[in-house]
Amino acid sequence: MAENDPLPDDDRLDSLRRRVDAARAEQSSRSAPAKDSAASLALRFGGEFGAAVLVGAAMGFGADQFLPTKPWGLIFGLVLGFAAGVVNVVRVAQTYAKSHPVDPNAPRIADDEE
Amino acid sequence: MSNDPMHQFHIERIATFDIGGLDASFSYASLAMVGAVAGVSYLMWQAIKPASLVPGRGQLAAETAYSFIENMVRDSAGEEGVKRFFPFVFTLFAFIFMANMIGMFPYFFTATSQIVVTATLALIVFATVIIVGIAKNGLGFFKLFAPSGVPVYILWFVVLIEIISFFSRPLSHSVRLWANIFAGHVLLKVFAGFVPAMGSVGPLGVVGSILPFAMTVALYGLEFLVAGLQAYVFAILTCIYLNDALHPGH
Repeated sequence: MAENDPLPDDDRLDSLRRRVDAARAEQSSRSAPAKDSAASLALRFGGEFGAAVLVGAAMGFGADQFLPTKPWGLIFGLVLGFAAGVVNVVRVAQTYAKSHPVDPNAPRIADDEE
Repeated sequence: MSNDPMHQFHIERIATFDIGGLDASFSYASLAMVGAVAGVSYLMWQAIKPASLVPGRGQLAAETAYSFIENMVRDSAGEEGVKRFFPFVFTLFAFIFMANMIGMFPYFFTATSQIVVTATLALIVFATVIIVGIAKNGLGFFKLFAPSGVPVYILWFVVLIEIISFFSRPLSHSVRLWANIFAGHVLLKVFAGFVPAMGSVGPLGVVGSILPFAMTVALYGLEFLVAGLQAYVFAILTCIYLNDALHPGH
């Protein structure tokens, strides 16, 4: 082994480590997050929105059973549920935008106004 | 053989048990879940048994899965999250993945196509977030509902919205996994059902039935992708929610 590899053991280890690191960096840059299909995105956004509306309405309806507020709890809960749904969708969209940054080299989309 | 696409979700009892008026029968759904646990345990045991420095194929797959989940937990819940929740998240991921994969075999039952199963998993996560959050942060956990920097006169409104948003989590968490698996299996069965239906109308039908058959093959491949992806999505959402238990302030 000594004749075909002139480097001492420490240097060989260092060189191996550098090559492993390089390979690992290349692999992690290649395994970017999988591109979600449009349907799965739609299902995710819709699910977040719908779930909040349902829960809001259910909580309002539940409050009506114990308080003499019928039917205002349900109406108010439904409206709050819509608001919470929008909050949910914005949060999902924020995390999505963070994990899928816009490509700075992407071609510019022509503006209709010009 | 039935061509009803919903028939595959029908739960049949294998052995009937009755515990204090509760129907605790062992059904095909139970069998599929026991199979998922047994499958994961057996594969992991087989993979880890050699424990060699240079891993074989099985050990490499197990170690890749391990480090994949570990990195995922670290990315969204930090080092403390790995210490506390890694076994939990890995168990969830492995169980859902294996249950989805078992469901890919024809005639096998898909445990994750039952909303009871996915809702139970989501509620376990939900309860863990609340219990760990309160045990670790005390009343500070409720800062989760009151984002900092909100003017006092609008705070009550924001708190109400945040509470609804918080309670909607187990619903969307469970529905997403269930709906994907359920819809995929219905679609598969519908297209597969076209093949014998077209084939029975004559020679032209037999030739035409190649089209739905090709579609079924393509959908099968897509379903494998969905099976893996949804297990991943369930696990990563679990990490995001668990992060709230550790760091409740926004």
